[in-house]
Amino acid sequence: MKRTPLVIVAAGVLLAFVPMLGLPAFVDSLLYLMLHWIVLATSWNILSGYTGYFSFGHGAFFGAGLYTTSTLLARYEWPFLWTLPAAALVAALLGVALGAVVFRVKSVRGELFALLTLAITFVIGTIVVNTPIDGGQGVSLSAVPVPAIGPTPSSTFYLLALACATATLLIAWAIFVSKFGAGLFAIHDDEDAAEVMGVPTYRYKLVALAISCALAGVAGGIHALFLSYVTAGEVFTITVPLTVVLMSVLGGSRHWAGPAVGAVAITALLYSFTAADHAVAGKAMIGAILIAAILFMPDGILLRLRRLLAKPVPSPGPAHAPSTLVAPVAAAPAPAAAAPADVLLRVRGLQKSFRGVRALAGVDVDVRRGEILGLLGPNGSGKSTFINVVSGHFAPSAGAIEFEGRDLTHHAAHRIAAAGIARTYQIPRPFAHLSVLDNVALATLFGGAVRDVAQARQQALRWLEFTGLQAKAGARPDDLNLHQRKFLELARALASRPRLVLLDEVLCGLTPGEIDDAVALIRRIRDQGSTIVFVEHVMRAVMALTDRIVVFHHGELLAEGSASDVMQRPAVMTAYLGHAHAQPAPA
Amino acid sequence: MRSQPLLEVAGLQVAYGAAPALWGVSLDVRAGELLCVVGPNGAGKTTLINTIAGILRARAGRLVFEGRDLTQLPPHRFCEAGIAIVPEGRRLFSGMSVRENLELGSYLPAAKAQRSASIDAALALFPVLAEKLASPAGELSGGQQQMVAIARALMARPRLLLLDEPSLGLSPLIVHDMFAAIARINAAGMAVLMVEQNVTMALAISSRACVLEEGRIVAEGTPDALLARPEIQRAYLGV
Amino acid sequence: MSGFALPSASLLAQSVLSGVFVGALYGLMGLGLSLSWGLLRLINLAHFAFAFLAAYLCYQLARWGVDPLLSLLGIVPAFFMLGAGLHWVMARFKVTPFNSLLLTFGLMGIVESIIQSIWTADFRQLESTYAQHKFKVAGLFVPVPEFITLLLAVGISLAVWAVLRFTDLGRALRGAAEDAAIASAFGVNQSRNALLLAGTCTALASIAGVCMALSFTLAPSQMYAWIGVVFAAVMLGGLGRALGPLVAGTLIGVSEAITMAVTAPSWAPIVSFTLLIMILVLRPGRVT
Repeated sequence: MKRTPLVIVAAGVLLAFVPMLGLPAFVDSLLYLMLHWIVLATSWNILSGYTGYFSFGHGAFFGAGLYTTSTLLARYEWPFLWTLPAAALVAALLGVALGAVVFRVKSVRGELFALLTLAITFVIGTIVVNTPIDGGQGVSLSAVPVPAIGPTPSSTFYLLALACATATLLIAWAIFVSKFGAGLFAIHDDEDAAEVMGVPTYRYKLVALAISCALAGVAGGIHALFLSYVTAGEVFTITVPLTVVLMSVLGGSRHWAGPAVGAVAITALLYSFTAADHAVAGKAMIGAILIAAILFMPDGILLRLRRLLAKPVPSPGPAHAPSTLVAPVAAAPAPAAAAPADVLLRVRGLQKSFRGVRALAGVDVDVRRGEILGLLGPNGSGKSTFINVVSGHFAPSAGAIEFEGRDLTHHAAHRIAAAGIARTYQIPRPFAHLSVLDNVALATLFGGAVRDVAQARQQALRWLEFTGLQAKAGARPDDLNLHQRKFLELARALASRPRLVLLDEVLCGLTPGEIDDAVALIRRIRDQGSTIVFVEHVMRAVMALTDRIVVFHHGELLAEGSASDVMQRPAVMTAYLGHAHAQPAPA
Repeated sequence: MRSQPLLEVAGLQVAYGAAPALWGVSLDVRAGELLCVVGPNGAGKTTLINTIAGILRARAGRLVFEGRDLTQLPPHRFCEAGIAIVPEGRRLFSGMSVRENLELGSYLPAAKAQRSASIDAALALFPVLAEKLASPAGELSGGQQQMVAIARALMARPRLLLLDEPSLGLSPLIVHDMFAAIARINAAGMAVLMVEQNVTMALAISSRACVLEEGRIVAEGTPDALLARPEIQRAYLGV
Repeated sequence: MSGFALPSASLLAQSVLSGVFVGALYGLMGLGLSLSWGLLRLINLAHFAFAFLAAYLCYQLARWGVDPLLSLLGIVPAFFMLGAGLHWVMARFKVTPFNSLLLTFGLMGIVESIIQSIWTADFRQLESTYAQHKFKVAGLFVPVPEFITLLLAVGISLAVWAVLRFTDLGRALRGAAEDAAIASAFGVNQSRNALLLAGTCTALASIAGVCMALSFTLAPSQMYAWIGVVFAAVMLGGLGRALGPLVAGTLIGVSEAITMAVTAPSWAPIVSFTLLIMILVLRPGRVT
């Protein structure tokens, strides 16, 4: 795979010789346009294709770069090439300012981002027109000399665009194969789960946005001089965003090269069918092709081709996951051997309210290193909320959380994950577009110890062996049954080598035989060094596994102690167990 | 004695996404009985219930209710035929009040005509809901939500009530009351098809049971007869 | 160009009133968008394009002598069919919600091109008898077209609110928005309801378009000026709430009018965007 960057650079170098072939000027211009659109579409895709946050404002960032350059050239007489970094910076700052505000919103952030970016195009245009930046009459750059990089002015633009396109493709590829890219794709599938696994989603989205806008800004800067006369009305429209969306969707937005394929195809199409003054028909055609693409080829050309050419994926193995589990992996170094009284997690006065409903009303819990602690209580008593608050899924309304002596209250979920706490979800939330192996590899990658994707995959395989899922490594999560998906959740939680594992009703929905398997697995997890806190209703497992339990009731702790002791206390029995407890005692 | 069963399922094949879930399931529900379906997870119990409710479409096989072939009907026609579901995990309309949930349960004209009588009957069955009628359904406790889910289904005036794991996620005390209510509903003459994990409590109120494993019915009979079979005891009842 | 000059009290009052009128139009424009997004989980970007198309059709019919309000009789059913038809196509091809965003984005481009090729980019003004009339209330001028818009906006919003709140259809729509499968298990024919709703939303857009034609000059590029402000009204008013866009729109309209009276008119478009950003910064959890 390392050949790819060499191929890109080699292509760039080869194409640099085109101006010397002495072709007519319009060829340079056509090629310039193709490269221009490759930059715009690929840069758009770095944010919107990879993370799924569709931006309709690429025109605003492109325009910001364009006007930065034109202002610096016309008013301040900067040398042209120096305006390009400035254009990139301005565009990036604009994007990041918008993203910083929008990405904080939890719900509908995808749609919100799409519509806000659509609106910002017009807002920037209004500002530009109302101030001396443009003032309404446009900016003329005809007096500005074009640097003599190529034999003719049009070839200069071609070469600049070529350099920009090569750089953009390299960046897109590099992100695609890196840990950063893996994080972006995880955000695409399930942002909350990614956050809980250690992906710093907010930061990653902003970085992707900044890179995307910066590249668009550079393209804008180059384009300013290419046009030599710029007007706000031409720049701040939906033409740019509409076109880049089409190019990426058509080519395939889940791949780094997809947008480039789409860019070349659409530019060729537009150029051959419409002359320069049919801009109106051009827009209609782009719209029409986009609609056709969404209806008939939503995954894009590239993925279609690859599926046609690739071998069919082998169907998953036998229906049962093997019920005898493999011996534990030799990996995870246990933390320094601890005395049982060593407190790992200290929770004091934890409160959480949702719209006036008190889910947690002041809870104090100590979790000792190496123990298995059970959280019990009727539905709605606050057990799951407790797990959600400790793992960072919700912020507490009051109270303090201390882990290994560090204060983790109000920390973002990914920082809590990085501190050594992992959790599973009651209803498994795997990343649907990634294979089982990659789901676990992602957790390994963001769990800390591993830097590189290949190594992460190796370790992930060992965790799959630990949970008995190695036969399903290449399958998609949709192909697994509930039992296997729960074990995948477990494997993911373990892959980051946490010191504290929070399990949320992991046995729910399993048969007694499967429960036995899971109980044995949980014991082995503890034996290799993790502390476990789990929420459960299955009494048999609670009896078999726990060292201590705490009982929740209406958001407070009702009792605490060993399971056999607590279960016999009258208050607990009447409040929670009643008299019809039919599950047999464990063997 | 009725000669024709209320519900006849024959050779039902249902594919759920990529993995096939039911491979030729056949069972009958007779009028007035409580049939319980047990089995390991992944066997297809929810798939079975959802297909009988019309939420999923069968790939092959027949589904006949009161002599009418429902197999190819669109989802919204099943309720009209006389079948109502209490889904797994309740699935109430959490943004709407309890009363609105009940009203939506009686959406169809025949049920709507008897709406106020149905609400009175529901409150008689679950008195604790009387003071919760105006509360948003999402703010109720798990047990109360389960009551609303059952009441909502009854509002549709069905002749067959489908219950998908009614005890899931509920504490043992509430579960006991829930099964008592279900038994009462059945005793009043309603045919019930129930899928359950809490096998001992479910079998205690069932008239018949069958075991679903990997998309096929592998055993069937009275609760006592099933409990007596050792391998089933071990694998599914954990005893 | 930009300077701060405090206007007189009566001028300010007149500005606020005109802000209320334009805010009512924002609300009417936003109602269909809000219902579609809140109840169908679909954002129809072509909503704006359809509104403008209706506006231009109304303008054209007026040039041929058809009274604008009368033209509603033809325009509303036509756009209802258009909206239902579009939804039918998207359902038939199983277009996902995000792809519907892209698809309607493309549609917006197409409709804009059609408008521009038929009516050119020049500004068009509808000449109607309504525009020539105004009456006085408490010393303030009330132009008839704007007044009609206000009546329509308030009346329609209230009607929609009543349907959603009190009727079985309204409950069915709200329930299906949350859990379509279970709603259908209780007899709700969601595919038919969705077509009705989609058609209604586009019909609402067309009514807003006619009101726009009555009060404003039209140009294809103006479409984008509305996106930000209408969208702000939708978000601030809460998705799927019938009265939300109207209230939020009025607030935005009045804020814009005051801004215009105090500074220069060309800065008005920034107001709604700024309001939205401020809300997002101060209370990020408040959205929907």
